[in-house]
Amino acid sequence: MDAARRLPWDWYPGTIPENAVIDETAYVETSFSFFLYHSEEPVGARIGRGASTYLGTMFDVGPRGRVSLGDYALVHGARIICDAEVEIGDHALISWNVVLMDTYRASPDPAERRRELELVPMRWPRRFDANAPARPVRIGRNVWIGFDACVLPGVTIGEGAIVGARSVVIEDVAPYTIVAGNPARVIRKLQM
Amino acid sequence: MSNRSSEPGRWEHGPLPANVRIGANSVVTNDNAFRRFFSERDPALVIGANCTMDGSQFALGKEARIEIGDYCYFTNAVLLCELELRIGDYVVIGWNATIADTDFHPIAPAERIADAVACSPLGKGRERPPIVREPVIIEDDVWIGPNAAIMKGVRIGAGAFIEAGSMVTRDVPPRARVMGNPFQIIGEV
Repeated sequence: MDAARRLPWDWYPGTIPENAVIDETAYVETSFSFFLYHSEEPVGARIGRGASTYLGTMFDVGPRGRVSLGDYALVHGARIICDAEVEIGDHALISWNVVLMDTYRASPDPAERRRELELVPMRWPRRFDANAPARPVRIGRNVWIGFDACVLPGVTIGEGAIVGARSVVIEDVAPYTIVAGNPARVIRKLQM
Repeated sequence: MSNRSSEPGRWEHGPLPANVRIGANSVVTNDNAFRRFFSERDPALVIGANCTMDGSQFALGKEARIEIGDYCYFTNAVLLCELELRIGDYVVIGWNATIADTDFHPIAPAERIADAVACSPLGKGRERPPIVREPVIIEDDVWIGPNAAIMKGVRIGAGAFIEAGSMVTRDVPPRARVMGNPFQIIGEV
């Protein structure tokens, strides 16, 4: 990243936000990953030593959102929908089209959602306001998440666990456990 | 898929197709929104007022028609339509959710071979075997999560909540909360 916070290899003519702290050894493929990012936190995104994010990764982060990627974490095209906190541990491997969300953005109540949807087209950019309840998502160290999986608000995935492709994780996953399915269930424990 | 897809107001591939109607204060943002828009119906796509169609794809076959109500909000939705898709007012569709009113190819193996040949570069002019198409109806106030899939012939009742990643192959009653593959009703909204 140069002084203007541009990535020399970037195909997209964007910059890395001021409040995104990216280790000098990390690799961010494109600043387009921050196209939807509008965190106003002191540090809205932290990308650790040797971590990498590739094309398709989107930090869809609201004003109070904070996303962190641990050291050597590899995010290969995940959609991170964050209005509170999404934490990805060291050495985690996150595959393509994975959705990590700490909020549903819109109210679960249809009548309330109508009121929100009537306000959205009055704003630019057109966004839901970020006051919907959010519950942090924590992906432990050494976790591996397969493609197209979804991790829903409030879920913690323990260290070393594996989430199978296309799983939808609705509750916490114990460390060193393989889960798969929609909704995800325990397949077996990993041998240490 | 262009990753510039969610940039506001971008539509760089010429004028909107003539058989598209878009209501007041609605926006369609996606370079590829109409790249697979082949419908010959008029109108083929009707979008109501105050809608936000962010990064969504409208893939319509020759005889397809899509109708979308007011105040809808779609994020990178993939709408695959060969016949009919009707979406009500205040419908939210999450990132990368797919709605399809057809399986695109026949079930019977021999017919699938004929279809593969007809679709191939060598199949010019050859007629494709008949393919099942059934309208999809999504009523008012439905919420569809990211990575969900809604398949042909399904009607989703008003106010239903489709959890992220759900695979919906049957009707969903109004205000039901569903998730899973195959989906189960897990409660009410």
